[in-house]
Amino acid sequence: MRDHRRVGSESIHFVSARLGTSFLVWLVVGIALALPAGLWILQVNMDEMSAGWQGRPGLTVYFDTQATNVEVDATAKYLTEHAAFDQIDLTSAEDALAEFKVYSGLGDALNLLGENPLPWSLTARFVHSIESSILDSLKREVQNLPGVAEVVVEKTWLERLNDISSIVSRLGIVLAVLFGVGAILVTASSVRLAIESRLDELRVLKMVGATQGQVRRPFLYFGAIYGFGGGVIAAMLIAIMLMVIEPPLQSLLGSYQQELNLAGFHPLFLLTILAVGSALGVVGALLAVRQRLRDLELF
Amino acid sequence: MGHIELQHITKRFDNGHEALADVSVEFAEGSMTFLTGHSGAGKSTFLKLLLRADVPTRGRVLVNGVDIAQIPLSRLPRYRQNFGVVFQDHHLLAQRTVFDNVAIPLRVVGMREREIARRVRAALTRVELLGKESLFPGHLSTGEQQRVGIARAVVARPKILLADEPTGNLDPELSIHVMDLFARFNQVGTTVIVASHDVALIESMGLRMLNLQQGRVVDDVLAGADS
Repeated sequence: MRDHRRVGSESIHFVSARLGTSFLVWLVVGIALALPAGLWILQVNMDEMSAGWQGRPGLTVYFDTQATNVEVDATAKYLTEHAAFDQIDLTSAEDALAEFKVYSGLGDALNLLGENPLPWSLTARFVHSIESSILDSLKREVQNLPGVAEVVVEKTWLERLNDISSIVSRLGIVLAVLFGVGAILVTASSVRLAIESRLDELRVLKMVGATQGQVRRPFLYFGAIYGFGGGVIAAMLIAIMLMVIEPPLQSLLGSYQQELNLAGFHPLFLLTILAVGSALGVVGALLAVRQRLRDLELF
Repeated sequence: MGHIELQHITKRFDNGHEALADVSVEFAEGSMTFLTGHSGAGKSTFLKLLLRADVPTRGRVLVNGVDIAQIPLSRLPRYRQNFGVVFQDHHLLAQRTVFDNVAIPLRVVGMREREIARRVRAALTRVELLGKESLFPGHLSTGEQQRVGIARAVVARPKILLADEPTGNLDPELSIHVMDLFARFNQVGTTVIVASHDVALIESMGLRMLNLQQGRVVDDVLAGADS
């Protein structure tokens, strides 16, 4: 334990004395970790979004801008009385415009238009999940009602979202493996340089009877420090990425009446990314040490 | 620990060069012996084989009756902890203080810092360097650096002390001083083997001398006895 404390403190001193080089290693490892971790966050959020919609798919009906109140009411009544739906939300053209002004930030430009370009719309939620064949026939039915311009089935959106989430998930795994190997190689290469600069010390340690563990220890600490630092950089990069994408994502979700609750970036995620970074660093260091110390001549 | 026996040792390298050829020799526990011979005579190879830094092509090295080739790799560090080694270029770590250089063998065995401090000061006292423990090797003269190397070699009280050309970079006066240090360690029971080509110095010590030529022991005599 004493030796761990001493070697740990020496390793921190060694790395901090070469802050420029160490920062570059942290940055490369951080980028390598941030890409798959960022994709994981993305996938988690897509799953959250689809989970929010799952079980209550619905239809959004857009009326002609010329549609009369009678036509809108008739369509709303038709859907309210339909057994497949349990919730109908009607949005007036004025409300839609007000909402659009808020989310788009184009309020001033929209004020210049003489008239409201947006139609009435109506969102109807299904009681249960619904088969796609029934969904299609319902869509056709509603589409043929007077005053209806377009019917959008949210289920389609959901299916696409699930497909994209699945692609992101698999891409994340592939990238995690590739960039994980990259992080290991970068750390191995940096630790290899540290070994070369301390060959005299290694010879002395082996000569006085240090165990393999004692000889390897400082370099494993280097690897862990490089990996841990990479994890910190990765967490920072992801935090920045989330800050950058939050406003447009909020706007996008707002248009679907969804609240933005970014998920995944929690303390456990941070701990995991730091632990994974450290572990990859240690693996890289082990590779470098194993390779270099095997052939080390004592004198 | 301290009795060494080499039985028909041959060491041939991959390039065909034979560094040692059928060498059989014995070192009693607590003895002091000089290995001499020209460069390339096999002195360093001899010491490497004792430390098991290399293995013989043929023959056996027995230390206290144990064939060291049979020591598993996991126990090799423990075996090497019985040795102190001094080099011509002393192999001191430039970024560490004199204290930290000398303390290395003690930290390796997990000694407490208080005991380490006591032992390091004792070793430095014996090589007359007490008071210089916070200096770095670069601040010392060549002779002082060599004495730090000796302090490091003896601080853990090894059973066997090996020295490879320890006076190669020293003037005659300092060389005698270093040899006297080895003789003093030998007097407390340490088996000492010193490889040196400084025959005049060796003869002045009046101790056992093995003369190696082209990997063979051509003389095993008491130095100065025939002069």
